Amino acid sequence: MNIIVLIKQVPNTTKVKLDPITGSLIRKGIESIVNPDDLHALEAALTIKEKTKGKVTVISMGPNQAVDVLTHAMGMGADKAVLLCDTAFAGADTWATSLTLSKAIKKINDYDLVICGHQAIDGDTAQIGPQVADWLNISQATYVKDIETINNKEIIVKTWLENGFKRISCDLPALLTVISEINEPRYPNIEFMIQACLDKAPIKIWNAADIGVNTCDVGLEGSNTHVIKTFTPDFKRQNETLTGSKQESVSQLLERLKKSDTTIAHIF
Amino acid sequence: MAQFISDRRDIDFVLHEQLEAGKLAEMNEDFEEFDKKTIDLIVSEVRTLAVKEILPTQKEGDEQGCTFKDGKVTTPESFKRLYKIFNEGEWLAMTESPEWGGQGMPRTISSVAAEYFNGANYPFMMYPGLTHGAGKIIEEFGTEKQKQLFLKNMFTGKWTGTMLLTEPNAGSDVGALTTSAKQNDDGTYSITGEKIFISSGDHDLTENIIHPVLARIEGAPEGTKGISLFLVPKYKVNDDGTLGDFNDVICTGIEHKLGIHSNSTCSLALGSKGDCVGTLIGEKNKGMKAMFLMMNEARLLVGFQGFSCATAAYMYAINYAKQRIQGKNLLEIMDTNAQSVSIIKHPDVRRQLMKMKVFVEGMRSLLYYVSYCSDMAAVAETEEEKQKFQGFVEILTPIAKGYVTDRSFEVCSQGMQVYGGYGYIEEYPMAQLLRDCRITMIYEGTNGIQAMDLLGRKLGLNKGKTVMDLFQEIQQTVIAAKEIAELKDYAEKIEKALNKFGEIAMHMGQTAMSEKVLSAFANAHPFQDATGDLVVAWMLLWRASIAAQKIEKAKKKDKPFYDGLIKSLQFFVETHLPITMGNLFALKNTSSAAIDIDDAAFAG
Repeated sequence: MNIIVLIKQVPNTTKVKLDPITGSLIRKGIESIVNPDDLHALEAALTIKEKTKGKVTVISMGPNQAVDVLTHAMGMGADKAVLLCDTAFAGADTWATSLTLSKAIKKINDYDLVICGHQAIDGDTAQIGPQVADWLNISQATYVKDIETINNKEIIVKTWLENGFKRISCDLPALLTVISEINEPRYPNIEFMIQACLDKAPIKIWNAADIGVNTCDVGLEGSNTHVIKTFTPDFKRQNETLTGSKQESVSQLLERLKKSDTTIAHIF
Repeated sequence: MAQFISDRRDIDFVLHEQLEAGKLAEMNEDFEEFDKKTIDLIVSEVRTLAVKEILPTQKEGDEQGCTFKDGKVTTPESFKRLYKIFNEGEWLAMTESPEWGGQGMPRTISSVAAEYFNGANYPFMMYPGLTHGAGKIIEEFGTEKQKQLFLKNMFTGKWTGTMLLTEPNAGSDVGALTTSAKQNDDGTYSITGEKIFISSGDHDLTENIIHPVLARIEGAPEGTKGISLFLVPKYKVNDDGTLGDFNDVICTGIEHKLGIHSNSTCSLALGSKGDCVGTLIGEKNKGMKAMFLMMNEARLLVGFQGFSCATAAYMYAINYAKQRIQGKNLLEIMDTNAQSVSIIKHPDVRRQLMKMKVFVEGMRSLLYYVSYCSDMAAVAETEEEKQKFQGFVEILTPIAKGYVTDRSFEVCSQGMQVYGGYGYIEEYPMAQLLRDCRITMIYEGTNGIQAMDLLGRKLGLNKGKTVMDLFQEIQQTVIAAKEIAELKDYAEKIEKALNKFGEIAMHMGQTAMSEKVLSAFANAHPFQDATGDLVVAWMLLWRASIAAQKIEKAKKKDKPFYDGLIKSLQFFVETHLPITMGNLFALKNTSSAAIDIDDAAFAG
């Protein structure tokens, strides 16, 4: 059972602030981490590997420093890694990203399952998984909470719905997007991690030519959507201090509330 | 966001800017995997594991403690999962040979793990820590069969290890032990005796526990010359590696202690039913030599334990002092409209924080330097160089244990002071750190024993060459620092202290070999204080020298850091070094009062 896991390097958003002028994320000086849901995807893959043998390959698209997340993944036990790195890939929307990833997967070719986190904490689109499955023309199950059984032909999973669960059987090859409830990711093993840092570590770097895509189909140029503006909603509170005795203040407050058509329930 | 346990920037400074740990990879093929990139990755993973998984078990472990019921020891609930995670990461034997499941990592780098992991919960870390030490004994002195049967299972954490020295009437005086060993026909030994104060002596984390036991073979000489070392598993191990019968190692109780509640401190009865079997490790009657290997490692580990409490206390104190709003700025005290400020603005709190900062930084560099010397001894190309660095490890071991734990306790106490009344209540972390830190001054050879070791053994090591080599190293840093204008004055003061120390060290060494030997040893502890102060001064000067040369071209975020290193030096030289000088002058007196006084003159 050969499994491909898609992982993304994201800023640790618990530490990210927004630029008050541009409204964009201030990434400078913020540590990068593996997208949390992707760790669950990798854990799911490694658990399947332990039962069925085979190889786990992780793929990430990003700048050179994204190799760190691949090293982390190999520290957890992934066998091989591929970094899709090309200036042509920059600025991609989900359409272009999923195309790029699917091209890399097609190049690897020998796979039974693709697993990814259900969404990234920086973009929150949850579109990559389904789009990759579409490009690959394989079956998919999203919001997977549990993998019940898997054999050479099919996989049965339990997926999360707002008011319950759904059991789905998918023919292989298939793509799963998983949610955090599926498992508890392991920590990297120090021996694996050291090996992953070596020059001889099986981490490949592929550019656009390597995966056979036209640069006009990927990155910003190949994107169908473009961000026009990012901003932080401005919720300014207005304060006013009521003066006078307690009784006068309460009377003033009630008067104001009546005028503004606000009920006590609204306040509390 | 606030950092926990340690200051990552300072750790990076020590590793990469002071000791240049990445260069070890170029020096020896055994270390070639550990370049800067790998080191940084390891440090990040260490910190993540420490903060996310180990630290949350610290308070719970302290509150639950270990329990002893129906002859069984139970550790805190959270330890089972944590121990599994720790072993899956293969952190136990980072520095050991890959042949036995280790990673062959330089000790300089593993020092980061020692700092972060112990700072997160050192009573927990004692379980793997002692296992590592016991494993080292087997690796060094064990037969091939002993290695095959025990070593891999210990270095992977499947089994744990301990160290069985202390008996009810044999503590600091190990030579007084009475545990006996009687040789059997098959070459094994039947062990009988009682051991106390055995850290991690019994627990529920693993299926087996391997005890290196000091015992006296029947007919062997009295004292330390008749002591042998035996390997005694809790459960016998068959030749095929499977577990056999219970080996008559019975836990008779656990101690209820001031701190380190979550580490079981056990009393063990060996062979009370006549069925405890051990195998000799190393040569007959040479047990102390083998045990000293473990003890020396354990002493350095205890230094890290104490220090890790200090660095954690410092980080908590800094965070608290920045957040706690209390009192007006002293310059606005008469202004009724003045707002209260965070307590870090108050001069006396700043003094406390500065004192903590200075000693934490100095001790971090010192401990990492000892590890670095160990690595340098391992990669040395000449015997002379090897002996020099090995000598540094040996002479600095009592400082790394005795001096560091003394100062660490003071740092924890300062941290408690910064918290005010909240520091004294258990809801906040300071109380536990102070309690846990206290034992580090006592076990693994009390700090008085360390001081005696420094004066009695280490000062004269290699006929005094080691201490002279150390002097030379310090002198080189001083000479270089005198060329840096802003450090010149501090360097000269440290040089003056160094010269005074040289004079006093000579005096103490001579006194220790004269009829005033008892007076000399009555002053061994203050001598250890002075030696430690001097080494810390050296470290601070070394650090400030690097900072002074980098600060001008440093990135904006690094400027305060480098400036802080220079301020640390200034603070130490201006506030503490004069005390050290006073101590050195007092040592010249080598007061005999504590010796001359009649026992009856003490109260009681």
